[in-house]
Amino acid sequence: MSRIKLPQLTFWRVVLVIILIAGLYSTVIRFTRGLGASTALSDQFPWGLWIGFDVLCGVALAAGGFTLSAVVYIFHVERFRPIVRPAILTAFLGYLLVIVALIYDLGKPYNIWHPLVMWNTRSVMFEVAWCVMLYTLVLALEFSPMVFERWQLQKPLKIIHALTIPLVIVGVILSMLHQSSLGSLFLIVPHKLHALWYSPLLPVFFFISAVALGCAMTIFESFLSFRAFGKRLELDLLADLGKVMVVVLGVYLVLKGQDLLERGAWELAFEPTYAGRMFLAENLLGIIAPIILLLIARIRNNDFGLFVSAVMVVLGFIMNRLNVSITGIEANAGIFYFPSWMEIAVTTMIVALGFVLFGLAVRYLPVFPMKEQLPAERVVPLPAAALLHPAKRRTAALVLALTVILGGSAIALAYSGLQHRSRLMTTTDTPSTQPEAQVVEHSLQLPADKEFPQHEDSPGPVTFSHTTHVDPTQPSCTVCHARTFRIIETHQAPLSVNMHDRQACGLCHDGERAFSINDGCTTCHRLP
Amino acid sequence: MGISSQKALLFDSTRCIGCGACYVACKQVNRLPPAQENFLDEKLSAASVTVVNQRNGRFVRRLCMHCQNPTCVSVCPVAALEKTVEGPVIYHADRCMGCRYCMQACPFNVPTYEWNQTQPRIKKCTMCYERVKQGKSTACAEVCPTGATLFGNRDELIEEARARIRAHPAQYINHIYGLQEVGGTSVLVLSDVPIETLGYPTHVGTEPLPMLTWEVLRKIPNFVVVGSVLLGGIWWITKRRVEVQRAEQQEEV
Repeated sequence: MSRIKLPQLTFWRVVLVIILIAGLYSTVIRFTRGLGASTALSDQFPWGLWIGFDVLCGVALAAGGFTLSAVVYIFHVERFRPIVRPAILTAFLGYLLVIVALIYDLGKPYNIWHPLVMWNTRSVMFEVAWCVMLYTLVLALEFSPMVFERWQLQKPLKIIHALTIPLVIVGVILSMLHQSSLGSLFLIVPHKLHALWYSPLLPVFFFISAVALGCAMTIFESFLSFRAFGKRLELDLLADLGKVMVVVLGVYLVLKGQDLLERGAWELAFEPTYAGRMFLAENLLGIIAPIILLLIARIRNNDFGLFVSAVMVVLGFIMNRLNVSITGIEANAGIFYFPSWMEIAVTTMIVALGFVLFGLAVRYLPVFPMKEQLPAERVVPLPAAALLHPAKRRTAALVLALTVILGGSAIALAYSGLQHRSRLMTTTDTPSTQPEAQVVEHSLQLPADKEFPQHEDSPGPVTFSHTTHVDPTQPSCTVCHARTFRIIETHQAPLSVNMHDRQACGLCHDGERAFSINDGCTTCHRLP
Repeated sequence: MGISSQKALLFDSTRCIGCGACYVACKQVNRLPPAQENFLDEKLSAASVTVVNQRNGRFVRRLCMHCQNPTCVSVCPVAALEKTVEGPVIYHADRCMGCRYCMQACPFNVPTYEWNQTQPRIKKCTMCYERVKQGKSTACAEVCPTGATLFGNRDELIEEARARIRAHPAQYINHIYGLQEVGGTSVLVLSDVPIETLGYPTHVGTEPLPMLTWEVLRKIPNFVVVGSVLLGGIWWITKRRVEVQRAEQQEEV
């Protein structure tokens, strides 16, 4: 009598099933009823979460792969060899997931092969398409030795081994092109992307931040796989990666600062606006905080400290990509986009799929070096466990304190930005006109009220007040002061035109844009 | 067909009375969903590739500007958008894979999408390309009762616009919108009020946007060649070093 053994019911398995159900339902809706029914995208906002997160962040997952394979195979730094395989695995999964995400996001996914035969070499998207195709192929080949070793296939192993160096070189070149080209995609929208993120250096920024993310993901995964399988990398190797990350983040920070100064956009970062706050939060969380943490040797050589820093870099990186693709575009589009639950469900499903595949690969393939089968209680990168370790208690406390201070500030900044955004959403109905270029918010210092004395056959004097005519969330002087009213004339007699006609108040008070001048005289005129 | 005989549209907003004839005719010719009663509130969409709106007390038309050096054409990875020699920018739905980069990149926010189709297409004005090829005028210009929309050769329309500004300097601002914006467009607009108050984007500059990405893309071949040689060289040098180290260690043993 053999009974069918049901798989154990664990918390994570239940979560996974829920994610799968929601994701599959969304998938059916997406492919039977189109993008309109399944996403929050619109003619005014054609790219959303699937591009901003799945594609932009998924591709960057591969950065660890090319960085480490270059360091080990090209520069012959043998120490890092144990890290190459998990990094290649991550890269390969990242690209597979990007392709899945593209199939969801493309309007006609069955035409995804078109760039193979229909060329436009002046399109960055064309470059992106070819990089995806070629680098997926390269990654599959770089990943294949793990499969061949597992099943002892000597012949293909020999062939792949001979190809290693050319493959790595091609892979590094393709990766550099691809990481930067995702930034280049946004070079064509100088008037649509907020000045805090639009820069001629976008391709460079995308490339550098991707390298930092590659290091962070390697550290992050190493700890996760240790928790799950007891397999992980040597701590001193990871600490070295931490050092590399500090340098890369430092270069990014310096370049970004120079770029903002040069373009005169740095002031925008300190405006109390949604965009400004999100920008600060992104850089505090993803760049400045991890640099501070990792510069302290005690933290860098501590597993918990390393883990926290890596998580910060990952979160900051995701914020950056979402800011470029969503926040920075929203700011100038005068429209607010929030993904539909189905977009989120699909994204969650793709990410979960990635975790599952990573777990399977680590379990069944020679990804991590084999010697590491440690007793599971030795180091667990969780605050509670780390605090219980008497030797490490002080370091853990320091990490926690810094995390609370820096991470907390970043969260507070993002929260105040979101509050500003919700204020904007309630006060302005989406302007259908083009927004004014770059809205800058200062504490408004408006001119004093202006008194127009009573003229012949006028019912009484009129007081014009700037406060009632300027929208504090989007102040703009040029709406009126471009040609209609010259600012300098304020001390002179009223305009020589009839105030009711199109040259003056009547321009807006036509019953369309504002109440009509015929809505009763006392609305404006004070009767004597 | 040279640049001189390129076709274009001249829209003189001071003559437009907002009757909507162009809007209706466009729908008929392109077999789009029927016209709406309150059409003045409509935005460009897959259902309407030209609309008439009221802005600043004036009536304004919105439609594809048919740029001389179109951003959408440059960004499309599969060349589904094409600038024809006659002037119109047209779309090949069979090539399109639906990445919507053209919508993201268009400085005028013109292209729209069939969001609720399972085989969606980009929708935008094609300047009645089929009619223009046969030597006819666009539908919108043909039905305009006041001559607010004129169809003709681009250079002749530019002359006409200049003549109007010269003849009635008080009636027009001295600016032909589309003459230089993003390197020139094939839809030209005249106005008596600042053009931005009509809702047309004015901060788009006078340089064609495709140059911004081309500056990066043209470096790729060089980058690939130099990068490969450099990486190969580094591999070769460091490999040598590792071998030398190994040999020394063996000698010591």
